[in-house]
Parts: sequence; structure tokens; C-alpha cells
Amino acid sequence: MDLLGIALAILGAAMAAGWAGAGSAIGVGIAGESGAGVMTEDPGKFGLVLLLQALPGTQGIYGLLIAFFAILKVGLLGGGAEISVNVWQGLAIFFACLPIAVGGYFSAIAQGKTSAACIQMIAKRPEETGKAVILPAMVETYAVLSLLMSIILLNGIKL
Amino acid sequence: MAPAEQYGYAVARLRAMSGRLLEEALLQRILESEDLDSALKVLSETVYSSWLMELKGSGEFDRAIEAELLHVYGEVQKFVPDTALVQLCRLPYDFHNVKVLMKSALLVREGGERRFDLLTSLGNVPVDDLIMALESEDFRLLPFGLHQLVPHCFSVWEQSKDILEVEKLLDGGLFSAMRKLGAATGIEAASMWIRGKIDAENVRNLLRMKRMDMETGAVAGFLHDGGLISREKLLSLFSEPVESWSKILSFADVSKAFSHVQEINNLNSLVVEMEKVLDEYVADIVERAKYLAFGPENVISYLWKKEMEAKNLRIALVSVSNDTDRTLARGLFRHVG
Repeated sequence: MDLLGIALAILGAAMAAGWAGAGSAIGVGIAGESGAGVMTEDPGKFGLVLLLQALPGTQGIYGLLIAFFAILKVGLLGGGAEISVNVWQGLAIFFACLPIAVGGYFSAIAQGKTSAACIQMIAKRPEETGKAVILPAMVETYAVLSLLMSIILLNGIKL
Repeated sequence: MAPAEQYGYAVARLRAMSGRLLEEALLQRILESEDLDSALKVLSETVYSSWLMELKGSGEFDRAIEAELLHVYGEVQKFVPDTALVQLCRLPYDFHNVKVLMKSALLVREGGERRFDLLTSLGNVPVDDLIMALESEDFRLLPFGLHQLVPHCFSVWEQSKDILEVEKLLDGGLFSAMRKLGAATGIEAASMWIRGKIDAENVRNLLRMKRMDMETGAVAGFLHDGGLISREKLLSLFSEPVESWSKILSFADVSKAFSHVQEINNLNSLVVEMEKVLDEYVADIVERAKYLAFGPENVISYLWKKEMEAKNLRIALVSVSNDTDRTLARGLFRHVG
């Protein structure tokens, strides 16, 4: 068993979960600040605000999913690494994790900003809630594409 | 200037607060009221209700308007990352108070009475501090350049006995203090808003002086530096007929204000109408704030709209109280929304 290969795979998994999670934390934080601002004046909007605030949180979940796939692939989830992973395979897993790490991080922040703007929108025009949900959901598309690419790449690696 | 990200909470809260600004439909209902009591009953359905309950009589409605404005300024100052923006909007009230106190002091010297009832608590400097400073003639602690300006105004009065000269100095001091404060915030929109305000004030002054048929030589002293239109350009307007001002100023945004004016041939109604369109011109400068989720200009935009709401309310209530032409009052309403 090549320890460097395993280490690279773990680094990929850590980056997927870490960066996507960090992006989500920032995004949810940005949306949450706006949400708190609106709810200070109108606590009745809690439901709508919560929905919009939660949207940038999905990237963190996608990152975690890919991290699980990666460590499952190298057999670490059971407690011990039994599958042999050479440096090139480890490097391939590391690169496969990058789309969701990078895409997740940036899309979560962008989605947080869009959600914050939409929370502000429903503060003034509550009747436009439907549109307010669609706009941040558009950003989600690119997080889903990143997730998809990471899954395809991970599946394509033969160990 | 605080980072834009810090404005997420503030802008969201301001958006929610702006949803409670009085709409034109409500102002129409106030205008249609038979008397002041019925008008205040309509007003009691709004955020003004808590202040109306504290009034001793219906004639004191201005106190309710001031109380609401004071409450809003206080609240916004608590949560806005750049409090200088709120200070900026409150600055004209400080200078108003100084004017009232100076005139009172001068009146007392001439054997008249103090008019402390004209003071407002909307300024940045507590009224008591201002009174103390002017009564004791200890101006050292006055902010916004007033520590130099007030003694200078007193000495000008001693020399000229011309109250208009003192007013000009204080107005100049106000815009100078606003420009300094605006520049210190580092927010470009704030500086642009101040420049627009100076332009509006200059055009307003020019129209008033045109109506008074003043001599061209006396006009320059009433114009303020720092606007988007140079003083020289504004001075050159004075000798031209008002009808051509829009064309001459076509390079500046303020020229758009003239396109909204209908009674351009009658100077009296033009001056009244221009008050409204110039207020809306100033509002338009920060109007792009509505597209910025994290823009500090949202603070100025909201506070200016709140000021316009107060103005609209005064117009409506005074019109009902004095039973004047409601159509005229309706035409003077500023757009708030």
C-alpha cells in the first residue's frame, strides 16, 4: 500500500468537505445577517427567511458527500485501508474532489449574497416570494454541476 | 468606510423599515379628512400612533412627526456600520439649532425674547449642550467647525448688523461640514449626494433671488461651493430667462428637474414646484441604492425618504388644519416608496 496515494486521496476528501463547508458557512452567514435584519422589523417572515438562508448550506452537504465517496473508494471508512492506492490513483482522487471543493466554495458565497438580496426583496415585497426562491436556486445549478463532475471523475478512477 | 459585507444586516433592516413608509394612498386619506382630528385618526393607523398618544392637543402634530424622525434616526444610528452617514443627515438640524440660538441671542441683546421653542432635538449635538455653549459663549467644544464659525458669525453681526450675512455664513458652514464628513466616510455616494444637495440649494436660491429681482452682484454670496455645477456657471444663469436654464444646465443632472416643472412662466408657483422637484432630484442621486444589496447609500436613501415622508405629512396636516386647497397640497407630495 502506498501511503502517499492514500494521503492524497484523504487530502482531496478533506478539501471537498472543508472548502465546500467553509463556503456554505460564509454563504449561510451572509444570508443570516440579512435575515436577522428583516426579522428584527418583521418576525413573521421567519419561515421565508429560513428557507432562503438554508439554500447556501447545500454545498457543504455536497462536499461531505464527495468526501465520503473518496474515502469509501480507498477503503478508509471501515477503519483500515485495505485497498492499494498508488500515487497516481491518489492524485486522481485528489483532482476528482476539486470541482466540488472549488465550485462549492465560490457558489456557496455567491448564493449567500443572492439569498441575502432576496431576503431584502421579500422584506419589501412579500408577494414576490416565489421569484425570491428561484434566483438563489439558479446559483445552485453550478454547485450541482460541480458535484456531478466530482462523482463522474471519482467513478472513473479504477483502483 | 466599513466593508460592504457589514451592510447585509443594516440594508435588510432598512428595506423592512421602508415597507412602513407612508404611501400616497394614506396621505390622500389624510387630505380627504374633514378636520384635523379625523386626519390624526387616519394617521393613528400607522407607526405614528405611539407618538400621537403622547400629544396634549391635535395642534401639536409636528411633535409627533419630530418624535418619529428622532426615533428612526436613533434606531438607524445603532445598527449602521458607518454612523457618519446618519450624522450627515442630521447635520442640517444642528445648524438650524445654531441659527435659532444665535438669533435668540441677538434678539435678547435688542431687548427681545428667546425662541427656544423653535429648537429641534433632531441634531447630532444635544440641544442643552448647544444652549450652554451659546449662553456661556464657550464654543470650544462645539463640533463640525462650529467652534470657529459661531464666534465668527457673532463678530460679523457686530460689524454689519446684517442677519442675512450671518445666515449665509452658517449655510456655507453647513455645506462645508457636510462635505468634510462625507469625504471622511470614503463613500462616494455620500459625496455625490452632498454635491447634489448643494446644487439643489443653489438652484433654489437662484430662483428665489430671481423672484425677488435681486441685483446680479449680490447673488454670488448666496451660492455655495462644492456642487456638481460650478458657481460661475450658476452665476451666468442669473441674467438669463428661467425658461432657458434647463438648456444651459443640460450637461448636469439637475436640468432634469426642470422637465418636471409645468408652470415655468410664473415665478411664484415655479419656486414652490421647484422645492418639490429638487427634493426628488436629491433623492434620485441615491436611488440606485435599491439595486445594491450591500450598498451604504441605502442608509442615506432611506433617511432621505423618511424626511420626505415627514414633509408630506406636514403638508397634508397643515392643509387639513388650515382648510386650504387640497389639490395644491396633493401636487406638493414628494414621491416616497
